[in-house]
Amino acid sequence: MTPGPDPDLVRRAQRGDAAALERLLDELLPYAGRICGAVALDAGDDALQETMVAVMRNIRSVRDPAAVRAWVRRIAVREAVRAARGGRDVPADPADLDGYGGPAPARVVPDGATAVEVRAVLADLPPEQRAVLVLRDLDGLGEAEMAEVLGVAPGTVKSRLNRARAAFRTRWTS
Amino acid sequence: MAELDAIARLRALAAGLPGVVLEERVIDAPFDEVWGFVADLETSVPAFDDTVSRVRVVRAEGERLRIHSWARGVPVPLPFDVTLRPGWAWMVASPQVYVVGMAAVPTGNRTRFGHLEGPLRGGPPVRRLGRGPLRRHVRGDLDGIERSLAARRRRDGTGPG
Repeated sequence: MTPGPDPDLVRRAQRGDAAALERLLDELLPYAGRICGAVALDAGDDALQETMVAVMRNIRSVRDPAAVRAWVRRIAVREAVRAARGGRDVPADPADLDGYGGPAPARVVPDGATAVEVRAVLADLPPEQRAVLVLRDLDGLGEAEMAEVLGVAPGTVKSRLNRARAAFRTRWTS
Repeated sequence: MAELDAIARLRALAAGLPGVVLEERVIDAPFDEVWGFVADLETSVPAFDDTVSRVRVVRAEGERLRIHSWARGVPVPLPFDVTLRPGWAWMVASPQVYVVGMAAVPTGNRTRFGHLEGPLRGGPPVRRLGRGPLRRHVRGDLDGIERSLAARRRRDGTGPG
């Protein structure tokens, strides 16, 4: 995982340094853009806009400048799921997201898959399932970190991840 | 991958700078024409901002510039550190007392333009500057950009229709 922005740059931005804010925005955009694009798909640009407005507005509230990347990740996932749901915070059917007890495939995306093919299958999944796949398989987070980002219990993350992988595989091979 | 256009970048930065005012409007001219005028800061800023008498670029390294800006009636210039690239200008006074931002994106054959200005934490208190006057000033700059573009079209004989 690539490190976050220089803590000194974050501290300067927190003090209201306008040049540092511009640089911090540039440094955070690719990472937040990847999360918003992968989770919110066509609503990704809107999710990214909301994410970066929230990041810039609340940057002073970050206590540990070294942890700013994790903080941005949490905001980006939240805004991306919200945007993908058309502005609604609550999943349409939480029962559909959790409670899966089947086996977890070790690898979701087969070798040779194109980005367009993967995106088409991802678009078929609920945004919460896209979020766990992105956090686990693209961002490399552990279950405890994912639970913290998503605001749910670690057990819920595990079942949601299993269900997301199974759903992806089913659609991929159908 | 999701992306932010220049106007969205300006909105995000405005959210992080509580003293600034951001105004947006659609200018009835193509992006190349609008930015071709605005990006020449030595010519454009004194033309559209009636509080500025003169601007000089004193250093340019790629997209990073140092400019001196003379307020009307003030003999000493205020230096600004500038990021300037197509559709984007971010100008921070040195010392950090004031910030100016401009962003433009094409929308059909017209241009969506955003303009931001305001005092920074080390600058004059917002209440002393007054948010109403600041907003009027920013709108006045946008009016000035539209007037300047119209004047250039008349001069060059390239007016619309």
